[in-house]
Amino acid sequence: MDGTLPAVAEELLKEIKKAFEETSHVPDDLLLGLKFIFGPSAVPALDLVDQRSVTQVTSPSGRTVYQVLGSSGKLYTCYSSCHFCTCPAFGFTVLQKSESLLCKHILAVYLSQAMGACQKLSVSEEQLTSILLAEEEDE
Amino acid sequence: LCRGGLAERLCRLQNRERSAISFWRHQCIADARIPSDKSCLLIVKILEMFEECTIQVAICQQLEQSPDTLSSEGAVVSAEEPILKVLFARETAAHLKSRPQDVIHIHPPWQKLLLKDAEVPVIMNTYFSQKVLLGGHSETGEKTHGLTKMLIRRNIVSLAQTFRLYDPDHELHQESSDNQVACAPQIYSCDSKWHPLAQCAVNDSLLEMVESQGAVGWREAQVRVVIQRVYCLPAVECYRSHVQGNKPPCGTPVISSDPPNIRLCLLVQDAYGMFSEVQLQSLTSVDAVEEYCRRREGKFCCLAGMKILQRTTRGRALGLFSLIDSLWPPVVPVKVPGQSQDSEMMTTNLPPPSFCYVLTALSGEIHVEVDEEEQISELYRQPDVRGLKEILQIDGCNERCSFWAQVLYLRLQAKHSVPINQREIWMFVTDSTLQNVVHITPKVVAVSVAASCVLSTAVTEALSAASPFVFFKDALWGNGRIICIERTVLLLQKPLLYSAAGADLSELTGPVRLDELDSTTQANSICAVRGTVVGVNESTAFSWPTCDRCGNGKLELCPQDRGRLYCDPCAEVVASPVLKMQLEVFLSCPSRSQSAVKVKIMQSLRLFVLINMLLSLQSYEVQSVLGKEVGLLNCYVQSVTSHPNCVGLEEIVLL
Repeated sequence: MDGTLPAVAEELLKEIKKAFEETSHVPDDLLLGLKFIFGPSAVPALDLVDQRSVTQVTSPSGRTVYQVLGSSGKLYTCYSSCHFCTCPAFGFTVLQKSESLLCKHILAVYLSQAMGACQKLSVSEEQLTSILLAEEEDE
Repeated sequence: LCRGGLAERLCRLQNRERSAISFWRHQCIADARIPSDKSCLLIVKILEMFEECTIQVAICQQLEQSPDTLSSEGAVVSAEEPILKVLFARETAAHLKSRPQDVIHIHPPWQKLLLKDAEVPVIMNTYFSQKVLLGGHSETGEKTHGLTKMLIRRNIVSLAQTFRLYDPDHELHQESSDNQVACAPQIYSCDSKWHPLAQCAVNDSLLEMVESQGAVGWREAQVRVVIQRVYCLPAVECYRSHVQGNKPPCGTPVISSDPPNIRLCLLVQDAYGMFSEVQLQSLTSVDAVEEYCRRREGKFCCLAGMKILQRTTRGRALGLFSLIDSLWPPVVPVKVPGQSQDSEMMTTNLPPPSFCYVLTALSGEIHVEVDEEEQISELYRQPDVRGLKEILQIDGCNERCSFWAQVLYLRLQAKHSVPINQREIWMFVTDSTLQNVVHITPKVVAVSVAASCVLSTAVTEALSAASPFVFFKDALWGNGRIICIERTVLLLQKPLLYSAAGADLSELTGPVRLDELDSTTQANSICAVRGTVVGVNESTAFSWPTCDRCGNGKLELCPQDRGRLYCDPCAEVVASPVLKMQLEVFLSCPSRSQSAVKVKIMQSLRLFVLINMLLSLQSYEVQSVLGKEVGLLNCYVQSVTSHPNCVGLEEIVLL
């Protein structure tokens, strides 16, 4: 059977986008729906949107990647072509345990898209490549 | 969270929803008939179930409700048999324990979502759901279907499928997901060094990791745990269990003036509820602990590079286990080893742990990776902050307690063979729960701080300033005393995590009152005293100059100018020394009339004249001071003897 949740999540996000475009406001029931589907990631993701932490980085060839500034100052990279994020929570909760569809950063990317809250940044091809191939810094 | 932002709004909605759910569940248990809006009640019969990312998806048949009864007997299968996809949150699913063929009543509010291409509507926000047994009795989900566990299929969702928020016919739409998947292997190289988790799978069981010690891959083994507590242990504690070899016992005790070597330690708990004490790096100062605590306590972390120092048991490590007991039972259900991740045990009847592994670094330092971004874990059990009045009434022994208190007075225990930084400190503290009550409980409580409870410089400095408000985290209550030992942490800043449940933890506004000296007063306490002077011990009259900068009472004569005084610690001449005086008087106190009360007056300006008179070389009349009223003095009770019936007090100044 095909996955149910992605379709539900997509529809929910589309509804949020529509509501926001029409009324500049997200109704309570959609927020609660976010909480139901995405669980503990919902509130932190909304917080990231409130803080305008999501940046859409594009290059001349049309490649896109998203960078999300976390509360501790760390910058995480989220892909646009598939669901992937460089944060440890994604590696554990999504990849390893499959306990969640997304991490809060990827959810923040979608919500920012829906509400037009993405900051935009244009970089050169070399710069985008270096973002995509960046080494994870371990302390 | 941003004021007025979406996150804050969702938080509020969520709290309201949670209260509504628990209220509703209570009602279910108390009363089988729930008065709800019948028109919005959804009755479904489960046909098939599977799980996706902790959400339980149930393919159901909608049953038409009968107008008069809630039982499934009256439910009629409608002709069209509409199919619904009902989603249940993990917690609801655990509560329902439903199986195919079960009938579920879903009470409002719930939400229906119509997907674009699908015919089957999706029902979500199904928190107010209840299973209905045939025969009309509502099932509250307690015990069902014997002990057979049902295996639920898990559907793993592909990460290649992204969400498209734009309509397909909208021209602004970017790359479609199909194209990107095809390109992916060419553009992105997968470097195994790239992501730390790619190296080795992260374990979530401490026991499994410990049992595989020595096996291949032990070095890289990582375990994911929740940091329950952060504290410092003096090195003596750490190495106590170390096998020292054949060292002969030392003849003379070594008195060192160096600060004790301390180690930062974590008490961690894994998803199975098992605890472990992890000894991290040595610290030179305790000040880093407060920051580490604030940033990392309560969060998940990945540990690597450890070895077992010791497997300790309850009987051998009372201090550690008193802390573990205060964290038991876990606040959320824990996993059961050996079973699938879907089944979780209820924790109310689990016995507390009887053993605990103490881990230390394999070589160099332990690698601790904390995702500070993450929310506080649900498994984290914060300290139970209480008022002092409540703590004094605790029945048990060796119970850990946490409280805020105002420190009124400090006393260093006078064992001269022990270096200053290793002596026990007695603190006399109070809070609003003690100050505002009349007669029943004492107004001030003594807290003894053992040398094994390491204090940070911030706390030590605050303690020498005026009346600091200190947070005592995980102090030990037993035998009618509060003591601070190893694993107790004293903090000044209000920790963000701990909410006060009921206790009035506000700072004291009015002047502090001490208990008055009476027949129950014991030694090593503080009290207020008033009485009449009935005798003067002239031989104890003494005055001496002190440095006005640091209070040093041992001033010397200046080598160059014999008429002036010199303070060694300040390395300067004392231009205007402060004269301190001391005198012992005997008082008759109406509150404790049987005892002779001897008070060493040191501060009281009221007796300044008296002392001056005694010290001057002019003649005086002792009779003129006898009968003089003295009070209310704040005193430290030095001794209480019964034969002779005497109380020795020393006047003090509160912080």
